[in-house]
Amino acid sequence: MGLQSCIGGTTLQTLKLASIPTLSSSRLVSRPVQLKALTLDFFLLSPHGRSRRSPFPLLARALSAPAIAFQTETPPEEKVVKPQWKAAIDFKWIRENKEAIAVNIRNRNSNANLEAVIELYDKMSNLQKEVERLRGERNAVANKMKGKLEPSERQRLIEEGKNLKEGLVALEEDLLKLTDELQQEAQCIPNMTHPDVPIGGEDCSVTRKKVGSPPQFSFQIKDHLQLGKELDLFEFDAAAEVSGSKFYYLKNEAVMLEMGLINWTLSEVMKKGFIPLTTPEIVRSSVVEKCGFQPRGANTQVYSIVGSDQCLIGTAEIPVGGIHMDSILAESLLPLKYAAFSHCFRTEAGAAGAATRGLYRVHQFSKVEMFVLCRPEESDLYHEELIKIEEDLFSSLGLHFKTLDMASGDLGAPAYRKFDVEAWMPGLERFGEISSASNCTDYQSRRLGIRYRPSEPSSASPKKGKANLAPPRFVHTLNATACAVPRMIVCLLENYQQEDGSVTIPEPLRPFMGGLEIIAPKSR
Amino acid sequence: MKGKLEPSERQRLIEEGKNLKEGLVALEEDLLKLTDELQQEAQCIPNMTHPDVPIGGEDCSVTRKKVGSPPQFSFQIKDHLQLGKELDLFEFDAAAEVSGSKFYYLKNEAVMLEMGLINWTLSEVMKKGFIPLTTPEIVRSSVVEKCGFQPRGANTQVYSIVGSDQCLIGTAEIPVGGIHMDSILAESLLPLKYAAFSHCFRTEAGAAGAATRGLYRVHQFSKVEMFVLCRPEESDLYHEELIKIEEDLFSSLGLHFKTLDMASGDLGAPAYRKFDVEAWMPGLERFGEISSASNCTDYQSRRLGIRYRPSEPSSASPKKGKANLAPPRFVHTLNATACAVPRMIVCLLENYQQEDGSVTIPEPLRPFMGGLEIIAPKSR
Repeated sequence: MGLQSCIGGTTLQTLKLASIPTLSSSRLVSRPVQLKALTLDFFLLSPHGRSRRSPFPLLARALSAPAIAFQTETPPEEKVVKPQWKAAIDFKWIRENKEAIAVNIRNRNSNANLEAVIELYDKMSNLQKEVERLRGERNAVANKMKGKLEPSERQRLIEEGKNLKEGLVALEEDLLKLTDELQQEAQCIPNMTHPDVPIGGEDCSVTRKKVGSPPQFSFQIKDHLQLGKELDLFEFDAAAEVSGSKFYYLKNEAVMLEMGLINWTLSEVMKKGFIPLTTPEIVRSSVVEKCGFQPRGANTQVYSIVGSDQCLIGTAEIPVGGIHMDSILAESLLPLKYAAFSHCFRTEAGAAGAATRGLYRVHQFSKVEMFVLCRPEESDLYHEELIKIEEDLFSSLGLHFKTLDMASGDLGAPAYRKFDVEAWMPGLERFGEISSASNCTDYQSRRLGIRYRPSEPSSASPKKGKANLAPPRFVHTLNATACAVPRMIVCLLENYQQEDGSVTIPEPLRPFMGGLEIIAPKSR
Repeated sequence: MKGKLEPSERQRLIEEGKNLKEGLVALEEDLLKLTDELQQEAQCIPNMTHPDVPIGGEDCSVTRKKVGSPPQFSFQIKDHLQLGKELDLFEFDAAAEVSGSKFYYLKNEAVMLEMGLINWTLSEVMKKGFIPLTTPEIVRSSVVEKCGFQPRGANTQVYSIVGSDQCLIGTAEIPVGGIHMDSILAESLLPLKYAAFSHCFRTEAGAAGAATRGLYRVHQFSKVEMFVLCRPEESDLYHEELIKIEEDLFSSLGLHFKTLDMASGDLGAPAYRKFDVEAWMPGLERFGEISSASNCTDYQSRRLGIRYRPSEPSSASPKKGKANLAPPRFVHTLNATACAVPRMIVCLLENYQQEDGSVTIPEPLRPFMGGLEIIAPKSR
């Protein structure tokens, strides 16, 4: 079976990642478990508060405090520090569109200070003109000194030159500080918003699509924690001792379920032309920032490594975004579609409330993430494609879910538009987010420095060379969850439970789980 | 002082009691300090050594077994880095920018190879009664220490997390060892055999030299680790079982390798005996370690507090109760690498390369890679 890669536009052919063959003689040993009394805590959706339902609060949090590109946290006196990196902000465009930007900032409840940005920009422009003027004068003086001069005249010019130079040095310092301050403020400005995005808080999000219906049970159902306990699928208590709360071991068929979900998902998205990847899970914090997250903010979602500038990734979006950092891609490479499998680590700091039981909110999980780099004109199209792929995946698994167009107040700073998928979780008796698809337009690419060279049709002049090359433009980036394993496990266990306590495996996953059709209670 | 006493006698006794108490407090403090010091020193004592272990440095390790032979190539062969580059399987440069050196992305068929290796390995060891597990990759540093590693030593292999006592695991041996910490297991549960799949993180501080190119030495990799808890009398037996499983796995993949009985100077503190498997890597032109199987006897269990309750045969007296319960004993623990993905990828690419630059997939892996038989150069 021949394979062609996705580089250059050809697609990988369908590959079915087969699986663990049927277990004929495996002895599944279970450890005696003490069943504690379980109380089902219900997370009540509060229509007015900002609930912490989202497994991807990174973006929401980036909204409330600006993404800081600078090494130290900004103390109350607004001290400006030398930046490690700079977003390629179009200041002129901001100035020209300030009304629209102001409305956008309001709609998103952002802290960005547009007035400060405009003010700093104007100041900076004036200062720049002044600096140029002084430079001109200094050059003029230098030129004059080349000729033949009276000693007194020469002396006078030397003095003048010296004064100009000192003045220039001072102004240039000011200019530098001003530029850094401008950059810092401007980077807080969130992305613009798609015109169809509903304006308002979380409760304004609009349901785009509803698929399936809640399964009807003729018996008392259990939540995934109880099912997992009875089927010997998880270890939470031991994990709490070894690692802390919100950690877990998967055991027995749950391991096969995780492997099956990952393999099936990768296989499905590869058919659609996505290049499979595994990624580093330790990255430099600057890359985290460039993607629009805040590694060192208060209540950060990001784990940092002692003695280095490195962090653990919360999503493969980060290392994949970084692959083409500071590059200019050939237009023929676009769209570049990656499907990245990685483990993800999140501190879940500030995640209060009862929706933290079991697998719903954990510090570490496996995820397959889709990431697209494309031409600006096509990002809306690929956003639709990504959500369609997600909807197809979840439909195949027989889940009941709804797709939401998230409201402006619920978008993270990088997202131009965001679709969330919430699946019905019978044990939790509510919908829970299982996936998120964002169009970040050029927000990330301006920070990561990812551009492409448009290939202009050749003009009348046949002359080769730079004159015929169009200037590089920023790509648009999009990211979408193909499979977040723990939440999928919650869905599958709760929706497919049987009266006898077993769980049926949805058809598409069976070939990826050695043909396993059912997770049955084990005899002791 | 409970009885009836003359006031002067009482006073004398009160004085005496006070002196005794003060003396006692001082001595008890000393005792505590001494106990801690003793504990600290004693914990440095390495495990005992199996009598058959060769005594000496690394070069004294003895080859137990040799399987297969180096493949003969009729063309100029490439190393895994070059093969990976030409087949578009890795990204090292981008990873160096994003994360640092010794990080990498796997792409295209290399991803399928990783998934295939993991799935096949898990499937094989499950057939042998191993319970599959995935584990936390962040653990408390105390657990790391109890397994015999030093999270905070100089040149530590362990990454630590800012603002907590947590670290990243370098091997699933650690979180699996921790599962039954401070427990007494029923004897009927033993042997307990786990096969744990996890990502592993290692600083590789102090790892000098040229053997750090490409996938050979990296900071992050996937691994399936076997971990056994058993009765002391059986650990030698399970050590042999573990190395046999490893040898069978690597033989199935058609690798040429040798198994070494590691010399005393090359054993880590926890290991009573250690077998390493080194596979032939044609691109590196030498053998490279792909797996390690250690019998840690009770070194780890004494630190992790893992014991079992032997079920004694009932004695003449039919009386029930504690008198008939044997005191708990420490289990023995063993660990062995079933599959360390990057080194396996090095082996497979370098051994199975073809003249046209493609790489054949060994038969057992094909069903786990969608039937893929060959990784071929891509047309551009």
